[in-house]
This record gives sequence, structure tokens and C-alpha cells, in this order.
Amino acid sequence: MGIERRIIRTTWGYDGCLEPLYELEDKEDAILVTFDLPRVRKENVEINTTENTVDVMAKMSDAVCWERWGSIQKRISFQAFRKQIRLPEPIDPEKVSASFKNGILRINLPKVRKKVFIPIE
Amino acid sequence: MTSTVMGDEVRIVEKEGVKHKNPIVIEGLPDVGLVGTIAASYIVERMGYKEIGYIESDLFPPVMVVHEGQSKNPLRIYGDEGVVVVLSEVAIPVDAVYPLTEALADWVKEIDSKLVISMTGLPAANRIDIEKPEVFAVGNSEEALNELKDKQMELLEEGFIAGPYAVMLRECSKRKMSAISLLAQCFPVYPDPGAAASAIESLDKFLKLGIDVKELLEKGEEIKLKARDLMRQTALSAPKMQKGVEQDMPFMYR
Repeated sequence: MGIERRIIRTTWGYDGCLEPLYELEDKEDAILVTFDLPRVRKENVEINTTENTVDVMAKMSDAVCWERWGSIQKRISFQAFRKQIRLPEPIDPEKVSASFKNGILRINLPKVRKKVFIPIE
Repeated sequence: MTSTVMGDEVRIVEKEGVKHKNPIVIEGLPDVGLVGTIAASYIVERMGYKEIGYIESDLFPPVMVVHEGQSKNPLRIYGDEGVVVVLSEVAIPVDAVYPLTEALADWVKEIDSKLVISMTGLPAANRIDIEKPEVFAVGNSEEALNELKDKQMELLEEGFIAGPYAVMLRECSKRKMSAISLLAQCFPVYPDPGAAASAIESLDKFLKLGIDVKELLEKGEEIKLKARDLMRQTALSAPKMQKGVEQDMPFMYR
């Protein structure tokens, strides 16, 4: 990570997107990712996955405006959350499932690797 | 300002002329779900408490927060004669936890506090399915436990607790002071205004100020948005705070 990136590390962008808080949990056969998405409705969430990534775009029902703070010092508004996460293991994009409740998005990403039962001789 | 030096490492600085009458001291430092921080700042706003001091230390990050053009210490003290609220706008570095809690305990002893109450969260894996978070309490003495039973608080019967509030219980015990912790079921790494509201409702059994949490719940989503960066900082320091131990079962042969 370059020096500039370390100093100007933001969780928001000039494109009107905020980076959501998220948690990634390894559940043996699957990876469970949850996102905190306040001001978002289920119908405004878009999820895209590949074998190695999960991409979430979630539009807020009302934009959030902040004024005169940090290095901006002018009005800036955010309309959406956006985050791409690189997954620690390959997953099967066809088997991904998701749910949304009280502003929390849960995505269950089944791993490609399967457990093999080894009998003891 | 009058400076109250409570040790080499942490200084608690009070404004001149501040009077205390056996206050209840409320501690709301950043921890899981930012329960204490959200609750403390809501109480300060709601009750119109004035800033009465701040806490400084070379162990804290070299950071000041700016509000309305004025620089302020991120760890501040608010209150009136009967209530004191300690809050922070930055995560507490793990190396600062012991010196900070020792200094705070010395100071609350000096101002003759009748009770220290820490508000924090109790991470709940199924928080998403919990409509109204429950609050569990821990006391540091028989007297504190009696107080909790008197208020019909549900006790956290067994387990480990970790973080500034846990050390605060111990430091108050060492100084023969009553202290309790109120732990509201919460999301571990997401700001949780719902849990903060539950914690305030329990706290009000002690304060009896009639604090209405309706506005806190209504503004929950806005609070979540504003608290993202502090939550991120706090979550990063959680492993060093040994927060994981709170999910472990203690062993005692009984």
C-alpha cells in the first residue's frame, strides 16, 4: 500500500458510494458474508458473484448528505453502498443464496471444495 | 481548567468550578456494537449535559476531533452535579485500557461517586432475529448485586467479560466502590442503536430521569451511518482486547 493510499484511506467515494461495514465468516462448507446496509430496501440490493468475488451494490431509499467535514468541506451526498470482496476460497456462484432483514444482508456462498468422508480401516 | 493528575500516563482534566454530589458515573467507551458510545452520547444530548472535562494521555492516538470549528479531546466528560458521563469518539488502544481505567477509578473515588455504571454490548450471534435486545448485568460486589436484584435486573450468571468495562469493575472493587456493567445483546461489528436503547432503559432504573429512547430508535439508521468509521476502528482493536473470550465457557468445578 502506497503512502498516499495509507493517508487518504476513505470509506466513501466521490462517486456517491459508501463502503458498508461487513463481516466474513468461514463456515466450513460455505463462506457467510453479512453487510450492514442502513436506509436500504431489499428490492434495491444487487449481488453479483464469481468464483472468487462477491460484489454488492445497494441503493439507499434516501440519500445521506454531510456538509463541511473532513477534507471535503463542502456538501457531499451518498446514494448507495458498494463493496467488492475477494473471497479466501473459490465458491460455487450457482448455489449462492441471500436474505435481507432489518438492514442486514446475509449471503451464503457454498465452497467448491467438498468434504470427503474417509473411513477408518 | 483545573487539572487532576491521576498518574503519569493518563490525565483527567476538569473545568473549574465543577461540583459533584455523589454522582452516578456512566461509562460509555467504544466496544462491540458501540452500545455504550451511542447510549452515552444520546443521554448527553437528551439531558443537555454540559462538557465538564476531558481525558488526555500519551497512550491515546495523537488525534483531536473538530466540532463547529473547535478542536476537542476525543475522550470527554459531560454531566451535572448528580450524573457524570464519560465517552470517547475514538477507539481505546489496548495499551491504554489499564492506565485509563485506573485513572478513572481514582477520579470517581475522589469525586465520591455512589455508583459506576458501564454500558456495553453482549455480542449475540442471532441478533438479527432479536426484536428487542435483552440486557444482562454484572456487579463487582455483594452490594452491587443487591442493587441489581433490587432493580430486578437479569444477571449474567457465568462467563468471561473483556474490555475497559471489565477492568473498570475490578479497579472499582480495589477501591471499595460499587460498580456494575449493563450488557445489551448486540451485533458485534455493526453499530447497534436498538441495543443502546435497551441499555438506556435499564440504566434509567438507576438514574430515574425518564429518558425516552423513541428518538434514538427513530434515528437508528442515521446513527448507524455516522458510526461506521468508529465501529471499524473499534472492531480492529477487538482481538487485542481479547473480546473472543466472551464467547468461552469458564471452568469451575462445582
